[in-house]
Amino acid sequence: MEQQIHELSLRAADAIKAAEDLRGLDDVRVKFLGKKGELTALLRGMSKLSAEERPIVGKLVNEARADIERLIAEKNSELKAAELQARMASETIDVTLPGRKVHAGHLHPLTLTLNRVKEIFVSMGYSVEEGPEVETDYYNFEALNLPKDHPARDMQDSFYITEEILLRTQTSPVQARTMERHHDNEPIRMIAPGRVYRRDDYDASHSPMFTQVEGLVIDKGISFADLKGTLEDFSKKIFGERTKIRLRPSFFPFTEPSAEVDVSCVMCHGEGCRVCQGTGWLEILGAGMVHPDVLRMSGYDPDEVSGFAFGMGIERIAMLTFGLDDMRLLYDNDVRFLKQF
Amino acid sequence: MQVSTKWLKDYIDINLTADELADKFTLAGIPVENVIHAGEGLDKVVTGRIEELTAHPDSDHLQVCQMNIGAENLLQVVTGAPNVAEGQVVPVALIGAHLPNGQKISKGKMRGVASNGMLCSAGELKLELEGLPIEQQTGIYILPDDTPVGLPAAKVLGLDDDILEFELTANRGDCFSVIGLVRELAVLTGKTPRFPEVDVDEDDSTEAAALVKIGIDANDLCSRFSARVLTNVKLAPSPEWIVKRLEGAGMRAINNVVDATNFVMLEMGQPLHAYDFDKVIGHQLTARRAVEGEPLHTLDDTNRLAKGGELVIADAEKAAGLAGIMGGFETEITDATTTVVLEAACFNSASIRRTSRAVGIHSEASGRFERGTNVNGTVQALDRVAQLLQQMGACKVCRGVVDVYPNPKGEVKIKFTPAQINARLGTAYTDEEIIGVLNALGFDVAAAGVVDDITDEVADKISGFAKLLGSSVRKLSKTSDVEDAFSNIGETVGGMVKNAGMKISSAYEVTVPDWRNDVTIPDDLSEEVARIFGFDKIPSTLPKGNQQGHQSPRQNFIDRVKEILSGLGMCEELSFAFTGSAMFDKMRVPADSELRRAVPIMNPLTDEAPLLRTTLLASIFENAARNFSRKNEDVRLFDIAPVFLPKALPVTELPRERQQLVGLLMGRREPKGWSQSSEQVDFYDAKGIVEELLAALSINNCTVERGEHHALHPGKTAVFRKGRDVLVTVGEVHPAVAEALGIRKKIYVFEADIDTLQKFAAKKISLTPLPKYPAISRDLAVLVDHDIAAGDVERTIQKSGGQFFKGVTLFDVYTGERIPADKKSLAFAIDFRSNERTLTDAEADAAFQNILATVEKDFGATLRS
Repeated sequence: MEQQIHELSLRAADAIKAAEDLRGLDDVRVKFLGKKGELTALLRGMSKLSAEERPIVGKLVNEARADIERLIAEKNSELKAAELQARMASETIDVTLPGRKVHAGHLHPLTLTLNRVKEIFVSMGYSVEEGPEVETDYYNFEALNLPKDHPARDMQDSFYITEEILLRTQTSPVQARTMERHHDNEPIRMIAPGRVYRRDDYDASHSPMFTQVEGLVIDKGISFADLKGTLEDFSKKIFGERTKIRLRPSFFPFTEPSAEVDVSCVMCHGEGCRVCQGTGWLEILGAGMVHPDVLRMSGYDPDEVSGFAFGMGIERIAMLTFGLDDMRLLYDNDVRFLKQF
Repeated sequence: MQVSTKWLKDYIDINLTADELADKFTLAGIPVENVIHAGEGLDKVVTGRIEELTAHPDSDHLQVCQMNIGAENLLQVVTGAPNVAEGQVVPVALIGAHLPNGQKISKGKMRGVASNGMLCSAGELKLELEGLPIEQQTGIYILPDDTPVGLPAAKVLGLDDDILEFELTANRGDCFSVIGLVRELAVLTGKTPRFPEVDVDEDDSTEAAALVKIGIDANDLCSRFSARVLTNVKLAPSPEWIVKRLEGAGMRAINNVVDATNFVMLEMGQPLHAYDFDKVIGHQLTARRAVEGEPLHTLDDTNRLAKGGELVIADAEKAAGLAGIMGGFETEITDATTTVVLEAACFNSASIRRTSRAVGIHSEASGRFERGTNVNGTVQALDRVAQLLQQMGACKVCRGVVDVYPNPKGEVKIKFTPAQINARLGTAYTDEEIIGVLNALGFDVAAAGVVDDITDEVADKISGFAKLLGSSVRKLSKTSDVEDAFSNIGETVGGMVKNAGMKISSAYEVTVPDWRNDVTIPDDLSEEVARIFGFDKIPSTLPKGNQQGHQSPRQNFIDRVKEILSGLGMCEELSFAFTGSAMFDKMRVPADSELRRAVPIMNPLTDEAPLLRTTLLASIFENAARNFSRKNEDVRLFDIAPVFLPKALPVTELPRERQQLVGLLMGRREPKGWSQSSEQVDFYDAKGIVEELLAALSINNCTVERGEHHALHPGKTAVFRKGRDVLVTVGEVHPAVAEALGIRKKIYVFEADIDTLQKFAAKKISLTPLPKYPAISRDLAVLVDHDIAAGDVERTIQKSGGQFFKGVTLFDVYTGERIPADKKSLAFAIDFRSNERTLTDAEADAAFQNILATVEKDFGATLRS
């Protein structure tokens, strides 16, 4: 009996070793350990043994079973690992093939620029105001101290709908509308972004429709120095900390004093390059202290409060920040362009 | 306005280069647009005589010149110009020259013959072409035969003077003159100018007033009309120095009389006009309004008919010129002229501007009148012209000026305090500094006592101080209040205020010099102070106090919609607001549609787009077509912009502006890739984007119905509704529209109104808690007739689902061989769940049976086995 057990163990070990796959291994398990297996049969034959022999043989059988089970388990994990290896080897792919593309959407570069401008001013306490794009002559010109036949109207060739109604040439009319909505002398900090229209030919630096942001601050004791500080702050935030600004005296009927505002060239930082045409400066906005007549016309008392106003073209800022040299790209809507933002 | 630096230097000693001058002017608010440097690019251009001219051996149009350029040897140059001849002196560009037109000259051969330079044309040297003989406008520029050879061309051509080109602002009419510019320069440099002394010798004893009558019949348009009469006039060319100054200012010399008037206009800013006295009928000149239809024969020999109301200068019979714009043809100075009436007047700027625009003439004179001239400068200008002509020996001057000046302009006085100016600028200039600048600019400044108003800030300080001393103080607004505040403690105001380190502003009154029409209020004075000290001297501060910045809910909503759509793979476009009827035709907009009632522009940029758009589809179609034509066939665009809807036509009030959203898809469903489907988008892709957008905006439970739209396929159009409101229209673009657009592809669009979307969008997201109990799912596959809408079946399922119904998803639509030809199979997955407990199969089955029965009854559906 002992001999039989020993022999069976050896055979089982050989069979386990020879098993080529998990199924073969399972066949081995059934052959030796299954209900009708050889070791089970031996166990059954123990009833013929004497009471003395039984525990000894029983122990041997159990040891043999444990050995076989251990060997099967070992072989099992060995085969599994091999099978996993084989499966993974067969699954190998060309990882250099491109990934599956998805349609990515894009906001327009002018929206991105405008969002940034709005963000900066909202964080400085400005609210965002709006007004109609088709405006009355009164709000577009007269409320801004530009009576009919004022020579400064020549600077802004307008699209007229009627003698008294036109496409706004600037976002400044929103100033007057906002002031009128406020109580007398109530402080205002606002920007008015929007589309404006001028009868310009369509070329690399002109467009009959473009985007402007107007700003207005009114309060007690607002000074030209406040305007300068605000624009300096804004310019650093939008063009970078190194940016400097330069104010040149100018003339707008709605501000006094008035200034054209240059920033140090975003490309060469003032050294002089192609973008700034060698001057080191780029003109980006017009600004000034609100003319007392403008305050008065919209119900504010220039003896009590003062204010500053500024206006800038978003196209210009977008072109500078993105390095574009042709404004028409912005209105061309070629998807190959739009997808780069 | 352009002027040579030499002319400026005639009147002031300055040692600045043209570029430094340009900077100084610009930073003081007198913008110099451009500096033209003397003889720029003419370094290596010299005069040379053509000593010998031979035909080129291998060319029938080239010629070989042997040039004497004052050197030992002749220089061989090949030229293609036809207007050359032996003996001519011409400008020769030598090797290494870099001409004003950008051309670089290098050694070379022309058809095998060596050429060591180039003979130059006027164009290549950037000379004025006007006035040149026609053959010299295209050919070589020919110098006088006696011109010495080997001289720098710049010198010979008189190009040794730098020119400043000003882009003057509309307010500074006074800088439209050399004297005005020099005045500014004097303030900016601290140098003293020396202006010419105007002195006229009335050497003809005839009284001018006895010869000519001057009148003004339109006081509102002509505030002053001054005239002088010159006799024994001898017309001749002007002296060289006047010609040079005129040319430097961009004007051509004509004859001594005209040149003198132009010279004085440039010098003093006062336009003048010279009439041939003998041609002035009745020897009278009157400024009056033109009568409608009155003939106007101007000196450009153009005949016009007056619209009526324009200001003209008329003799006894007819208009003899458009006042301030252009003189008349008949009274023009000619060689036969012996007696001249000189006019110097002051015209209303608005009227000049209107007329100048209406007739399309923008002259040196009209530009000055539009900006405003100095009404008190007319007589001096007349005297200066007379003086110049007298100096040339060209005339005698009659006695007296005929001067009609009905309402002489009073002095403009402005009261201000330095505190006021400093407050506006945010600066701390002293009284002396401010007065110094104003004086330098020609303003008289007189003390006007102590200001009677004190600022709130000063009042607060004084009150605080008085309170400290135990005085009870009411609100201070005048200096007398200050005295009251301190009276009961027996201190003198001055001492107290001085001790407190405060100063009450002195007030001043300035008298504005009569050439500065633009300065009328204290704020204008603050600009003068700021610009002369320099804007760079103003400190940078930020407004005091805090305000909360924000966007309006609608602005936030629009931003959100843009974010959602770009997140859904759509690209934002921006388009012009203009459209035209051709686009409406392409879009099949019916003739009677409201969309055609668009706002017309009186002066559109192009005849094709004279209207303001009433639909964004017009713009997005154009963009799709442009992309398609560039072979960008996979396009996903959206736009949010206003459309303009007139309240009445013709327009009498502002149109309504509605913010709209439009989206467009065409091309591949998936981007092109090695493992990606090349299927094209269809209706359901567009609808899917719309559904995702609505879901992201928490707009739930819309009804979706078949819709109609002129630009869309009648069988592939759907509308999303909430009650009566149409939220979104989506569909395939009508094949005829796509064809008209030139797009050979199926296009899908959706259109929505932003305000309507916002009305139904949830203000905040409402969350549904996760279920605690499992759901039971049942599939329902039914056969229905082809024309039954799946949406209707789905709605019926929702309605008949009972209390445990939780949702339905259509997961398969089948037509084909395995079912009858007139039927389709719809398969729905239906979920049931209770929120209180685990549902039993029996409960789910009962609900399912109810749904099935209803669907069978309502749609004649049969369960598909």
